[in-house]
Amino acid sequence: MSEAHHDLEGHDHEGVKPSAEAGRHAARIRAIEVLLVEKGVLTEEDVRRQIEYMEARSPANGAKLVARAWVDPGFKARLLSDTKAAALELGIDASGPVEFVTVENTPEVHNLIVCTLCSCYPRAILGRPPDWYKSFNYRSRAVNEPRAAMREFGLEMGDDVEVAVHDSSADVRYLVLPMRPPGTEGMSEEELAGLVTRDCLIGVSVPRFEAVRTG
Amino acid sequence: MTPTRFEPGDHVRVRPDEKPGHVRTPGYVRGKNGRIERILGTFKNPESLAYGGSGLPESPLYKVGFRQTDLWHEYTGPPNDTLYIDLYEHWLEPARKETV
Amino acid sequence: MTGVHDLGGSSGAGPIDKSQHETEDWERLADAVTVALDKKGLKTTDEHRRAIESLDPERYKKLGYYERWIAATELLLVEKGILTREEIDEKAAELEENWR
Repeated sequence: MSEAHHDLEGHDHEGVKPSAEAGRHAARIRAIEVLLVEKGVLTEEDVRRQIEYMEARSPANGAKLVARAWVDPGFKARLLSDTKAAALELGIDASGPVEFVTVENTPEVHNLIVCTLCSCYPRAILGRPPDWYKSFNYRSRAVNEPRAAMREFGLEMGDDVEVAVHDSSADVRYLVLPMRPPGTEGMSEEELAGLVTRDCLIGVSVPRFEAVRTG
Repeated sequence: MTPTRFEPGDHVRVRPDEKPGHVRTPGYVRGKNGRIERILGTFKNPESLAYGGSGLPESPLYKVGFRQTDLWHEYTGPPNDTLYIDLYEHWLEPARKETV
Repeated sequence: MTGVHDLGGSSGAGPIDKSQHETEDWERLADAVTVALDKKGLKTTDEHRRAIESLDPERYKKLGYYERWIAATELLLVEKGILTREEIDEKAAELEENWR
């Protein structure tokens, strides 16, 4: 049996960005909203609140968690054992039915997150995932050729490092706790947070000190 | 708390079944041997929730680790690269000794 | 053979497109309406996934991410008898007419 279940050959669309018929879909969701409000199923307030909920979440939340973990070993232990509770300590409310697990990069292990079946992502902490995370090519390749996928983001992993891929297939959403880069000993927590990009929290990148020095 | 059938460290095989309908077990791990990494808790069964069911009884969910070279014949990375995935208990069975 | 959504390890996958499009208002609306319905207990994430997976494979591949969400939300609302296809058609046509 072949391990290749589907063939994406010749498929030039990533399945993410609005398609040629986007206008029609935009009209349909507006129609659905209007009808749901007319029938009292949802209120405009419900929808507005949900939009605000998502707009209030961003990778900056993840950067805050990482920076605190770098400066506070106790917090780091709590982040690794109970991410939801640790997030709440910093005022990040990730309550809801899904669980969150933070996986730690070490000199021996580098972690990479994907969701091959849909695009599960720690939205309650980081907001909406980037387009590439939802793309068919990333969903396909992150599991069977993670090193090649990371290389496309400029991240080369040595053969002495174990690459651990996490396919978030069920009720848990994953975040990566990257390693603190050398040379950052004197930096404040806020400065440290500035080194942590969204891609570091997914595992296709790692924080780099030079990135800040050169602006 | 639902009693769990497996413990961390147990060698398991993912059922090779072609189950119709909504499931959260991707094709690429079916029939493959892995190891229980940790027990993530118990959750409602998505195969029931997906059709408006109650999802009860809740099912234990495990983080299962695989060697990449066991998943993909053509895997080009080093032999200690791993893949972890979260699987519900009814998709797992004890791995036969000779296949571990 | 598993469903079209089961993409892990698909053959023929190409380079990852790292470009980002600006989230449009209707995409924010699709996200918010879908999740607000979940929070009201009117449908579940698993039903949403099942509905997306039930799309015709060619359509699944052709649609954008939030277009699949809209198709799924519409399918579930109709399935549950909350809205009818006809009233959505009618209202959507009315809205499109007003934009012209």
